[in-house]
Amino acid sequence: MVKLSRLSMVVFTLLFLFIAVTVNCSAAEDKVLKIATVNDIKSPSLLGDYNTIIFSQISNPTLFQMNSNGKIIGQVVDSFEVSPDNTVWTFNIRPELYWSDRKPVTGEDIAYSINMYGKYGKSGRWLGEAITDTKVDGNKVILTLNKPYTNLDREFATMYGIVPKHVWEKIDNPVNFTSEGPYVGCGPFYMDKIDLTAGKIIFKKNPYWKGDAPYYDQVDISWFKNKDAASEALESGAMDTYYEYSSSYPYAAIDSLMSTGNFELLEKPTSGMTFLGFNMNKTPVSDINIRKAIASAINYPELVDISILGHGSVPNEGFVPTIMDGYVKTPQLKYSVDDAKKILADAGYKDSDNNGIVEGDDGKDIVLNFLSRSSFSREAELIQEYLKAAGLGSEIRSVEDNTWYELKDNYDYDITLDRTTPAGMIMHASLGTCYFDSRRTGGGVLHNVDDPVFLNLCDEILATRDQSKLTTYAQELQNYYAENLPGIALYWKNDVTPYNKAIKGWYSNPIYGILNQYTFTGVKPVV
Amino acid sequence: MPEQTALLSWIIRKAIRYLISGFIVLVIVFLVPRLMPGDPVRNLVGEDVWLSPATLQALRSEMGLDLPLNEQFIHYLLDLFSLNLGYSYHLNGPVLNILLGRIPWTLLLIGTSILAGACFGVIAGALTGWNPERWWARTLTGSSLLISSIPPYILGLAFLACFSFYLHLFPIKGLYDTPDIFSIIYHLTLPVLVLTLFYASRNLLIMRGSVISERGLLYPQCARALGIPRQIILKRHVAKNALLPVLTLIALDFGFLFSGALFIEIVFSLQGMGSLIYDAILLRDIPVLTGSFLVISVFVILANLSVDLISVLIDPRVRMGRE
Repeated sequence: MVKLSRLSMVVFTLLFLFIAVTVNCSAAEDKVLKIATVNDIKSPSLLGDYNTIIFSQISNPTLFQMNSNGKIIGQVVDSFEVSPDNTVWTFNIRPELYWSDRKPVTGEDIAYSINMYGKYGKSGRWLGEAITDTKVDGNKVILTLNKPYTNLDREFATMYGIVPKHVWEKIDNPVNFTSEGPYVGCGPFYMDKIDLTAGKIIFKKNPYWKGDAPYYDQVDISWFKNKDAASEALESGAMDTYYEYSSSYPYAAIDSLMSTGNFELLEKPTSGMTFLGFNMNKTPVSDINIRKAIASAINYPELVDISILGHGSVPNEGFVPTIMDGYVKTPQLKYSVDDAKKILADAGYKDSDNNGIVEGDDGKDIVLNFLSRSSFSREAELIQEYLKAAGLGSEIRSVEDNTWYELKDNYDYDITLDRTTPAGMIMHASLGTCYFDSRRTGGGVLHNVDDPVFLNLCDEILATRDQSKLTTYAQELQNYYAENLPGIALYWKNDVTPYNKAIKGWYSNPIYGILNQYTFTGVKPVV
Repeated sequence: MPEQTALLSWIIRKAIRYLISGFIVLVIVFLVPRLMPGDPVRNLVGEDVWLSPATLQALRSEMGLDLPLNEQFIHYLLDLFSLNLGYSYHLNGPVLNILLGRIPWTLLLIGTSILAGACFGVIAGALTGWNPERWWARTLTGSSLLISSIPPYILGLAFLACFSFYLHLFPIKGLYDTPDIFSIIYHLTLPVLVLTLFYASRNLLIMRGSVISERGLLYPQCARALGIPRQIILKRHVAKNALLPVLTLIALDFGFLFSGALFIEIVFSLQGMGSLIYDAILLRDIPVLTGSFLVISVFVILANLSVDLISVLIDPRVRMGRE
């Protein structure tokens, strides 16, 4: 009996070792670039899953892209023209693009893709409403719109990746179509497999890519359900880099990663940020003096140290960060409790009962209804302390995102913490307007400004492509933000992307970070 | 005969009770996701994407969310009869297919852990309860106390850090690297080990306590007085009687099997039912929530029914209507 149990143990141990060796001895002849992410894929749908769409930047590129300076440049589009009244857009498609099944990319593919999004897409339905006519003339695609659109290039830089007509026209509802792959693509790579169980997407080199040849044969993007495991994977050398849409590598994990000696950091300013928004039509924050007092009460240097561990800077009053095209310098936000108290006092707010909190017009202590998304709980607690020091009370309600959306849409708050994304910052009239324009509701936007001055400014920006006018409007907009404070940025942050220092050629743009064609055609080992 | 009739009558009464419970569950799993705050349509796109009111209305209509609740409920019941659990617009597929894609992995992960934890916990618990004064019994009991006091996700993180990160013995994530049996076993070893330890330690402590209680009764002492060896008394008499509380727990574990092990799935980045339900809650994916809750509820009801049946079959005291 004892001999049998010992024999069982030996057999089990040998079996286990055999398994461990077998799975580690996979022939790794292909050159594979490995990326860790926490943006998980929920369904194998190229056009229907949010994060798959983001990762498809390298296989099914958009018509335009953003360069590292934040300027919109062509990607599938070589050049384009816009009619003087901004209703006819003509795109000239690059002639050297080929799908991974050898067929050339044509104007038909572009026309099909755009109209498909207009018909079936969730976020692209507005295209179906806006486009009245589509013409294809060789590699030229001409879209006629039902009204002036001045920023189609911007819209086509953030989403609407191009798909091959000859493949997708056979599918009933493309946006709901699911398949593990392969998906035909025209980028330097095509999406070979979406393996939900293994937790990775595999991209393989497009054999018909005519641009700069990528060094790597394969790109594996592996998603983790928690950042700790992703960080550990990086530190152990299992991954070459880390990517998270609109976010940085966890700041707290940077030191540990750098201590391995195997990584370097690509640190770039981003237009994604956390900000404090106001319910502009509700007393007392409808009073500009209250907003100015709050702006002075916030300890920005401390937030830069605590929230982003020094990877960023104190923001300016004009809200828009330096990385954005159209940025103009406005005064930097200044932390001063004394100034905050003085503003309140000068505006007539007094602390009659000496309890440290000033009273409002109704004679009661001002206790602000502070709605916070649960991911910003720590910042909310800090801001509560800052406000209290300045004489303003607050009561925090920290809720999960969906509850936040509902409460925020019902204006059930005085102040709230929200975040911007790089894509969101360039939407609508750009420069963060989509977060404040009261005509755009839902999602992560506050729609808290209905001032005709602001709304007219947005409309003016949307009505022109004249660069000199746009420069003037950008200045006016940021001055408006500085004077009226519909939102106060807590910090301007840098997104940190760590990369294996044995690999060079990384390129980052403000919207999608390292997820762009320049990276995937440019990265290669350091010789 | 009378005993058989009583048993049959008991089974029928229980079945009726569970059927009623089942219907109440149907209503609850239908209503709860729909009463949660948040808009499932908004969650179809990223938060930086703007949807026009017309688009929102069109999507709501496609998803059947513009119908009155009573109509939605009738559609829901009719669909259930044809085993149609609905369609998930967030995951782009029929809910039944989505669940069938996750359930086998959850079964593999948690089912294996429950079985292994049950076997080890029962056997070790019986031995430690029968010999509580021995040094190895004390060591096992102390270890079990320690492990059962640690939340599984902390245990999981510790194991991940130690065995995967520092010792590089196991992979850091996923159910497999390549879809073959060796890769699956390799990837699941650590999470199964963590869960097994969790279940085993809990089962050990309960079994141990139960055996100690039985040990103090007269019949083992009587058996000992008759000269029956201690190990035989434990195996044939005491363990059987002590097994009931643990059996109940194990049956309930199986009932909740399909709710997954969310924290373990997060720590080890596994695609199971736990993370499916968690994501569905965050996205307000009503069809997936309804389907998942229904599956879990059905299995919990079946598990409870099984526990009742097992109790009646193996414990004559329950059969005779006494404690």
